[in-house]
Parts: sequence; structure tokens; C-alpha cells
Amino acid sequence: MTSTRITRRSLAGIGALTAAGALAACGRPEDGGSDPAAPAQPIAEGPATGELTVWAMGAEGEALPELLDGFREENPEVTVDVTPVPWDSAHDKFTSAIAAGTAPDVAQIGSTWMSEFVSLNALEPTPDSFPIEDFFPGAVESVTVDGTVYGIPWYVETRLVFYRTDIAEAAGITEPPTDWEGLFAMARAMQEQPDGTWGIALQPGGQGSHQSVLPFVWSAGGAVVSEDGTEFTFASAQNEEALAYYQSYFTDGVANPTPADGTTEQDFVSGAVPMFISGPWMMAAVEGLGGEGFAEKYGVFVMPQKEISASYLGGANVGVFQGSENRDSAWKLVEYLTRPEVQVRWFEIVAALPSHQGAWEDETVASNAKFEAFHTQLQTAFAVPTIATWEEVVARFDAQIEQVCKQGLDPAEALATTQSEAQTIGTGS
Amino acid sequence: MLDRRRPVLTYIVLTVFLLLVITPFVWMILGSLKTQGELLRVPPTWLPEEPTGDNFRRLFERPFGLYFRNSTVVALAVTLGNLFFSSMFGYALAHLDFPLKRLLFVLVLVCLMIPGLVTFIPQYVLVVNLGLANTIPALILPFLVQPFSVFLMRQFFLGLPRELLEAGRIDGVGEIAIFFRIYLPLAGPAFATLGILTFLGSWNNFLWPLVVSSDESTYTLPVALALISTGQNQTDYGLLLAGATLIVLPILVVFLFFQRHFIQGIASSGIK
Repeated sequence: MTSTRITRRSLAGIGALTAAGALAACGRPEDGGSDPAAPAQPIAEGPATGELTVWAMGAEGEALPELLDGFREENPEVTVDVTPVPWDSAHDKFTSAIAAGTAPDVAQIGSTWMSEFVSLNALEPTPDSFPIEDFFPGAVESVTVDGTVYGIPWYVETRLVFYRTDIAEAAGITEPPTDWEGLFAMARAMQEQPDGTWGIALQPGGQGSHQSVLPFVWSAGGAVVSEDGTEFTFASAQNEEALAYYQSYFTDGVANPTPADGTTEQDFVSGAVPMFISGPWMMAAVEGLGGEGFAEKYGVFVMPQKEISASYLGGANVGVFQGSENRDSAWKLVEYLTRPEVQVRWFEIVAALPSHQGAWEDETVASNAKFEAFHTQLQTAFAVPTIATWEEVVARFDAQIEQVCKQGLDPAEALATTQSEAQTIGTGS
Repeated sequence: MLDRRRPVLTYIVLTVFLLLVITPFVWMILGSLKTQGELLRVPPTWLPEEPTGDNFRRLFERPFGLYFRNSTVVALAVTLGNLFFSSMFGYALAHLDFPLKRLLFVLVLVCLMIPGLVTFIPQYVLVVNLGLANTIPALILPFLVQPFSVFLMRQFFLGLPRELLEAGRIDGVGEIAIFFRIYLPLAGPAFATLGILTFLGSWNNFLWPLVVSSDESTYTLPVALALISTGQNQTDYGLLLAGATLIVLPILVVFLFFQRHFIQGIASSGIK
């Protein structure tokens, strides 16, 4: 299964290139050179009217009409047409639509697509009336391209350490660790318990493994892209420290360097690998597998710190496309979606974590201790840099991580290679 | 081909290959009856421990009939279009003499060699400019005559004797009647092959319908299945396998129905 998905992704990459090529070739007259940032226009007063087309992915797309009932009540004159788009190849659909000028008014936008869409001059800058500072800082970063805000963070997710509380207790661990050494010691202690095969599940390279490594990079005070987003900074002492730490889990035999795909949940429930690092969706997955009462057998804690505790911030944004014929109403819809109370409702419907910090004060979200840990982590969770070539660059990074974890490549060497490959690719700006 | 003295060996070889081919299908069908938890279990189980119809039930909570109808309409139209137009074009390239015939054939070959992704965006822009975005015809028209079909039919007709054409002309049969009443009735095996191949291609097409359709009312089965089974961070494998099982069934039926012709078709295109 995984291999087909990767093939589709690489196809998506080709599609994206084709799209960019087509755009460049067409040279739409309104493309104003390399700096598309026009000043944000304010939103007109009064209720939303007319027709709006909205694209949203997967389960979100299917559940969205239900969430929009309130919007329709407030704006009886408006008709909203929601198209659910499959996550698979959604990127191709967007780039094609942007090329052909058939993009929707409002859409859910994957956080890694932002800079690319902005460079295609496809997104409207966010009007100043939005209280952007109310959202998690990491999430705001993901909608900021070259200093301009495009769209609004819709929902967020971040990664925590999941662990089996019962096994930890048997291993004599009462308090979750707070620093790197503590996490390593805990994983080792968990591994030595009767059921334990490995201490912690970590991705040993391959597609997406940078998402597991970057939190440690940030934790060590490192970064892979300079503040202004113009240069790569893979080769640094902090990054090396982080990657060496990550590598030690494999060289010391605490994490499996060749895990089978999709076994994390199963191994967690059986106790074979009683720890892993992942996002909120894993809660439903392990509870579904573990059955009745399993929710009491595991806990989550925030990422351990070196300099700081840092984690990966994912999720999705919502934005308005350039050329929307109904942009005032479109922004009103975005405003509705990002209200705290609507975000709480959204959390109830699809369990998406609110991007608006105010929504977390609501009992529905705050009552669960595990969600509180996510809340804490979100304060220090970082989004990936918004540079147009990001996907391409991290694919190289993923490959190097694999060599570090599986073949014992020197972390410094891996980072130097990634750095030179990244420089060849460029930041796309 | 088969060695009569060693039927046992033949059967062993055949069985091994049959198993290789059939195992993924069996896994898919059995998997569609398992829960997500059981599907992800290591070591994997073959037979579902607690068979459940839950995946299918959740599948039919959606307008699956609509997706099924869309897929069927599109696949049938594309198949018929290819059978009809490509056989005419292929016949003309094989047996008729007209100016620029060679050039036309070379163009068909060129079209065959250009990767589909290169023309993907321009084709989409074209469809949008024609006002066909998000319609069923947009899923059909670009595939109505495919270069591969033309090529296949030309090669097939080349294998039929030209004397038939000459005899028809001498007997005063019209050109159109020669095609429809002499050559076409002989094209059964080629039709079966081409029919299955184009039907399969259209039935499984994912990227084009995904990009062209902006409304669930025009979604085809693969697009709808991707939508409901694959999330941002997780895949619902049970639902995916149940959907895949339902998508494969019509293909199996079509194939069983045409199997005899299909094999003849492969044989004739290989020998003649």
C-alpha cells in the first residue's frame, strides 16, 4: 500500500512541475513578476451573498456542509457549494485549476503548499481585520510567505510522545521525562520490560522522516532554513547534535531500524514497542485497536527539551483564491470558519484541533488531559518553512536520514550532503 | 505447447503462477471483511477472525450507486468510441490509399509516445475553455479515440488479406459496405481485446476525473474511493479494500464474458 502511495506522490510532483511549466509558458498578463504581494483589500460590510465554491479535503470536505449550517443562517442570501477533494493528488487538482483559472473561491490548503501557491499568484493576502495574533504562532508562520499573511490557519496538529502508562509504572517511571537524556533512558527502560522488543518507534528515514527529526533540530536550537527564508542551514553544530541523538536510538538498539509499515498501533497495544511520537489522530487509532479501557493505559507528554521543547506543527489552512468573483463573501466564510466557537464545533465533528487559541478555553476541548498536553505543545510547535521548493528539499533530507539511521552514516556528513543538494535546488525565491 | 508426458510439471508451474496472480485478489476480498485493527496486525491473518460487513455498510452510506453509474457511463462511452472510430481509422490506414497516409500514421505514433502528463494541463485548460469542466462529457471526449487503439486496429487489419477489399470492389460493393460488411465482422477478436483494454483503462482512470470533476455528482469510483478512504494522516484500509473489491467485480465479469475472444485476440495479433 505504501509503495503505491509514494508513487502517486511522485506523480503529484511531476504534475506540479507541469503545472508550473504551463503557467510560465502561458504568461498570464496579470502575473506581475516575482513579487505578487499586492496590499490586502478590506472586506465589504454586510452579510455574505451570492454563490461560493469551497474545496475541502477528505473527511473535512464531507463534514463541512454540516459546519456551514450556522453560516447559512447568518447569511440567508448565500449559497455555498462544497466539493470534497481526495487527499491523494489533491495538489494536482489545485495546480491544474490554478493554471486554468478555475480555482474555487475558498479552499482548504495544505500548509506545505502555501509558498508554491503564492508564487503562482493564486492566493489573496489576508485582510488586516483578521486577529491573526489570536492563532498559534507556529500556525501563523505557516500562512506567512515573505512577510505577507495569506489565508488563516484552519486547524492544527502537533506531535507528542505516546507511552504506555502501565508499562512505564512497571519500569519504575512515575514522571514523564523532560529532557533528551530522560527520554532515551525511559525508552531503554521500557524496552527491558517483559513485553518489550524495542523501546520506542521512530521512523528510520524514508518519506516524511524529516517530520520526526526536525523537532529535535529545533529543540537543540538549530534550524534548516535561515530566518529570512533565503538560505539553507542544514550544516550546523546544533543540527548535527540533533541528528546524532536521533541516530543513537538506532545504533544503541533502542529503536527498530527496519520496522514494518503500519505496525505502530499494534506494537503499542501489545507492548512490544510501548512508545512512539505522533499526532492526535493516533489516539482514536490505538483506542480503537486496544478496545475498552485502553484509554487509561496510555498517556502523552510534550517533547523533551534540549534548549527548548519543540514539535512539528501540521494541519491545514483556509484561504481565498485570486480571481474569486465573490471575494468579500469568501472572506466572510473564512472569518466564520476561524471563529473560536465554530472551531470548537469543528473539533466535535471531525476532531480537528482548533488553530484559534481562544477555542481551547472551551470545556469540550479543555476537559481531556491528553488534549491539554497538545495545547501546551502547540505553543512551541513549528511549521515547516514556507519556501516553494520545500517538498523537493526534504525528500533529499529524508534520504540522508535513512542512511544515518540504517547504515550508520556520519550525521555531519549527511547534513553537509543535504546542504549542498539543497543549495543546488535553491529556495525558489 | 503442453507436454503430454509431463502433465504434473505443467500443472505445478501453472498453479504457482495462478497463485501469484490470484493471491492479491484473495487478500483484497478477505481484507474487505476485516476491521482496521486486524488489517494492520503483524503477523497478518488470512481469514478474518471476526468477519464484518461494516466496511461495505459504510461504503453504501455514500451515493455509491451514483459513482457506479458515472464510471459505467464513462467507461462504456469511451470503449464504444474507441471500437467505432479507431476501427475506421485503423482500417483506412491499413488498406485505403490516400494522400498523407504515412504522415498521419506517424502522427498517431507520435501521440502514442508523448507521456500523458505532458499534455495534461493544456488538455485541462482546453476542456475548461470549451465550457466542459465538471461534466461527464469532459471525462469521455478526450479519450474517445486513443492512438493506441488506432495502432492496434491498424495492425489487426493489416493482417487481414487485401484480396477481400479487391474482391469486394470487383463485385461492386461500396467502400463503406466493404468496411462494415466484410472487414468489421472479421474484427471480433480485435474488438474483444481493444474493448477490454480501453474499458479497463477508463474504469481505473484516476487523475483526469479527479482534476476535471468539481462536484461529487460527476465523481467516478476511483476518485470517490480515494476521497472516502484516505485521510490526511491515515488510511482506512478496510474501506479501501471493500471499495476496491466492488470496483474489480464488474471488470471480472466483463473479462470472464469476453475471455474466449480475448485470448483469440492476443493469439491472432501475435501470429498474423
